[in-house]
This record gives sequence, structure tokens and C-alpha cells, in this order.
Amino acid sequence: MSAPLLSIENLRTYFYSRAKRAFIRSVDGASLSVARGETLGVVGESGSGKTVTALSAAGLVTGAPGVIGGSIALQSNGVARNLLEGLERYVRVEEKEGRVVAVEKDERGWRRRVETLMAGVRGKEIAMIFQNPRAALNPYSTVGTQLVETIRMHTGAKGEREAKERAIHWLERVRIDSPRLRFDNFPFGMSGGMCQRAMIAMALSAEPSLLIADEPTTGLDATIQSRIVELLAELKAETGTATLLISHDISVIQRLSDRVAVMYGGTVVETGLAAQVLAAEAPARHPYTSALLAAIPSAETVRNKRYLQAIEGEVLDTIEVPPGCRFHGRCNRVTDAVRERCAGVEPPLAEIAPGHQVRCWLYPAPSKAP
Amino acid sequence: MSTRRFVQTQGPIGEFSALPLLQRAEARDLLCAGYGLLIVALVLASYLMGALGWLPHDPREMNVGLINAAPLTPGHLLGTDFLGRDLQARLILGIQAYFLPGLLAIAIAVVGGSVLGVLAGYRGGWVAAIITYFDNLLDSFPRLVLILLVIAAFKADIYAIMIVVGITGMPETANLIAGKIAFLKQKNFIEAAHALGLPAHTVILKHILWLNCRAVLVIQATLGMAEAILVETSLSYLGFGVQEPTPSWGNMVQAGANYFLQGNFWPSTAPALLILATILGFQLLGDGLNNMLEGKRRRS
Repeated sequence: MSAPLLSIENLRTYFYSRAKRAFIRSVDGASLSVARGETLGVVGESGSGKTVTALSAAGLVTGAPGVIGGSIALQSNGVARNLLEGLERYVRVEEKEGRVVAVEKDERGWRRRVETLMAGVRGKEIAMIFQNPRAALNPYSTVGTQLVETIRMHTGAKGEREAKERAIHWLERVRIDSPRLRFDNFPFGMSGGMCQRAMIAMALSAEPSLLIADEPTTGLDATIQSRIVELLAELKAETGTATLLISHDISVIQRLSDRVAVMYGGTVVETGLAAQVLAAEAPARHPYTSALLAAIPSAETVRNKRYLQAIEGEVLDTIEVPPGCRFHGRCNRVTDAVRERCAGVEPPLAEIAPGHQVRCWLYPAPSKAP
Repeated sequence: MSTRRFVQTQGPIGEFSALPLLQRAEARDLLCAGYGLLIVALVLASYLMGALGWLPHDPREMNVGLINAAPLTPGHLLGTDFLGRDLQARLILGIQAYFLPGLLAIAIAVVGGSVLGVLAGYRGGWVAAIITYFDNLLDSFPRLVLILLVIAAFKADIYAIMIVVGITGMPETANLIAGKIAFLKQKNFIEAAHALGLPAHTVILKHILWLNCRAVLVIQATLGMAEAILVETSLSYLGFGVQEPTPSWGNMVQAGANYFLQGNFWPSTAPALLILATILGFQLLGDGLNNMLEGKRRRS
């Protein structure tokens, strides 16, 4: 098996809350990998650390202390580059009884370091699209100008005319009607869906190997959402760009992902093929995933007039991470057999089927069973 | 009460045309900006006339026989001053006293203000705190007093004074730019630009300053010019700025004032009116542009 295109190992990204005088562990030991040409869907409630994981991968975390540990390996031109290389020289983490009590970080030095590490990567190898596309385009510049700017930045098309032709070609590829006229439009003259198409064109015009799509359909009308999802599916088939797709909308994830990672409380609690993780009748899955799936309205629940099941309790406050399983306070499947361990020790990501890993004591790994 | 006009524009599919600026603007703003532009054009033309020496009369030539002549005296369209010098030529030449120094003040205020504003808006934290503090400090101090202090301490000439005017104008511009950036940061196109791999200087110079802040900067520049003219004429009036025999509107008002009560009000009223008209012009231009470009009309 060749090395995955992007492999995030044990990523930790913290923020300091001045009000609470404590660290918010937005991402706390998350590991993900995206293979070439594959779409990895990341699901989880708001606050589970999905977006921060993506921003960390793109080197765009702006809060302090930000990324404090882990590694992010990106294959570029056959060479693996660690995008967090040398991080330990800028950060000193002080832990006491498994809790981070202090972080010292040379923020400026690290920013500068990130910029060097990310030179030629951001935009070129890793491109990103955001939620709320209207706000992601500069309101005072035409869509065409902005597209031409990125094309000239990242591709061989240095001439204005060649870049313009490419830009129009890309507007066409993202199915924008009359691209030649749209080229001269300002963002305010376009619908949200069209702005997102333009953003996708901008992101893909550099032909990146990885596209990070951070909630690409959030903030759009329902009909537009499904069109954008269709477009992403078509472009995935056409360009074969690997995608890290972040969404709390499981239907979007279901439609587009090859593999799925479920995040909770800043870490990955389950990962596997989309068919394994999101299948209606999976033999085994993390209780959190089951709960998420039970909270989606389906034709069946509507027909049977059954109530949807909300997940009890609130999203884990990642300031006070309990010693055991992160989900155990809200878990409805704790049995007496495992109760003690759930509350006491954090379960490892155990492989319960080839490629399907679950972080739960209910499914002990054959090899790691205590 | 202002009425709003809605106009439907038709065009080919996909051509969304926001109404052109001039049609969208309210008549009041157009009037202000138009008057201001006229004043700017007149000042510019007069400055060039003065610089190239195309004057209707020699401004230094005294005519003792024609002291404090009334306007429309043959040969002297606007009359003469207390030494019989041609008033029109001296008024035109008076623009030299503030024009270049004023530009210097504007340049310092706009460039310095932008740099500080970007630092404050982008970095935040202590830079922003210092700029706000500096702004409050300057606001609590009459500017003219500060400038007089500088003159007293350094025997400063007009350019040095304008550097002070420029520096004291910086925090205001910086605050505006920082506020604008704070606003822009909520829209995530700056983050998106970074994510697309655009270098930081392109994002700051092109996407923030040029595309999003140019209107603010132009407005600040016109208001800054009005301020510079006011400072120069005030100082010259008080005798700290441009000295006789070099004409400045300020020292002309002062020189003419001695004859005001003798019935020769013209030599001091003409430059005073020009000061009024010019400063009003720059201010109205700034205000009109502000309303048209930034849409910050105070609803009444």
C-alpha cells in the first residue's frame, strides 16, 4: 500500500480562552489520512474539531496557541513533506497528570516557519473552499479578476490573455452559464451557489492534489446545496482530486465520501469506508455514530411518524476532558461489563474489520484486548 | 426626507449592472462633490499658473499711487493691497504656500495611517491599543497648539509643520483602516485569499488597501487637504507661517485687516473668502465622496 496523500497523525490544536483561563482542546489527538483521489468525509457535531483540523492542515490556524503537536505529512511529487516539521522547537507543552497546564509557543517564529513550509503548498497542492461563499470572494473585484489572479499565481499561464482563457474554461467546468459574461461580474451580482462555483473554480484551477472543502454547502439554499454536491461529485470523477470534505450534513457526506471519519471532542472516534460506517444496518459502530445517524430524518422515520432521537446532553466541553472515553457521559450503550473502563481509560482506535476502526470499549481489538 | 429612485436596468443575461455611481448618488452628494471637484480643479490650475509664472500681474510690483484699490480697477481685476500690489496675482501665488506642503501632509497621513491601520487591524493586540491611545491623546489636544509648540521648540518651517500635521493625521486614518479590516475579517475572503496561496503582501496591498480601502483613503486625503490649508492659513495669519512679502492667504488677511475699518475691506475679505470657499470645497468633496462611496449617510 502506497503512502496516503495526506496523513495527519495525533494532531493537537489548542486555543486559550482568556475568559475561562483554560485551554480549549479543539483538536486533541486526531489522526486522519486521505489517499490519492479519495474523498474523506469528516462528520461530527459543531465543536467537534472538524474545521480546526482542516485549518491546521492548511496552516491557517490564527488563534493562539494553535497547533501544538502532531504531524501532517503531505506527499508532493513523490516526497513526503511534514507540514509541521520542527514544530517542537517552537512549542513547549507542560503537562501534569495528563492535563495540559501550560503551553509556551514562539508564535511569530512558528508563523514564519509555517509560511516557509506552506510556500508552494497552500493553494498549489492544498486548496480550500469555505462555507458562506459570498463572503469568501472579495466584494470589490470581479470574479474573473480574482480567478485570473490565482491562475497566474499557480500555473504556467503567465500571460493575461492565456490566464483569462483558462479562467473562462474553469467557469465553464463548474457549470456556470455564460461564463464569458459572468467573468466580469462582481460577487454581489451572483447568487450564493454561483459564488461557491466560482470559489470551486478558483480552488481547482491550480490543479491541487488535495481539496479541503469546509462545509461547502452550509449557508446555501437546499436546492442549491444539492446542485453543489452534484457538481463536487462530477468534478471528483473528472479531476480525481483527493478531497477532505467537512460537513455536519450526513447526506452530503454519504453522497460524496469514499471513507468517513467521525469526530467527537477533538478526536476521531470512528473511521472506515463510508459503506461500513454509515450503512443502515452496520454490525458494529461507535455509539456516537449510531446516535448521529438516529438523529437524521429519513423517509422511514417520517412514514412511521417516529420521533427523531436527539443525542442526550451537550457536546463535550473540551476544556475538561474526562479521563475515560470522551463520549461516555452521553453514551446510551454503556454496559456493566465495560462501565469501569469507559469512565477510567480512553479506548484506543481498534480495528474491528479491515479498514474500519472504532474507539470504543464495546469492540475490543483482537490484538489489543487487555 | 430623501426620495429613493429605483431604476430597472436591462442587459444581456448574466450582465448584472449595479447602477453607475453617478446615477445611484443622491443629488445633494453630487452637488457637494461637484462643487468640491470644481474647487480642486481651480486650485490645481491656479497652482500651475503660479508655478509657471503665468500671472496677470507681477505680484511684487508696488504701485504707490494705487493703494487699496477697489476691484475692477483698470489693470487690477481684484484691486490692489496696501502696497499697491495686484491682489489677483497674489491670491494665485498664495496657493504655493499650502499646496506642496499640504500634499506632503496628506501623503504622510495616508501612507503612515495605512501602515499603522494594517498593523492594528491585522495583528491587533498591543499595536491596536497603542494607536487608539495615540489617537485619544491627539484628540485631547488642540492641533494648532501642538503645532505652535513645535514651532516654538524647533523654529520649524512650513514643511516641518506639515510633517507634524501629517503625523497627527495618521491615527485617524489608521483607525478607519483598522476598523475596515476588522469588518472585512468577518467576511472570510481574506482567509480564502490566504488559503488560495496568495502571498501576504498581495492580500494586504491589493485586496485590502487597494480594492477595499481606496475610497476611505481618497476621502481622508481630501479632508486632510482641507485641514492642511486651515493650518497653513491660520499660522500665516498669526505670523508663524509664510512671511511677507511672500503671499499666503493667511498673511494677506492679516495685512488687509489693518485697513478693514477704514472702509477698505476688500484686501482682507478676498483671501478670507477664498479660504472659506476652498476649505469648504475640500470638506464637501470628502463628505460627498464619503456618502457616495461608503454610503454612510446619517439617517435624519
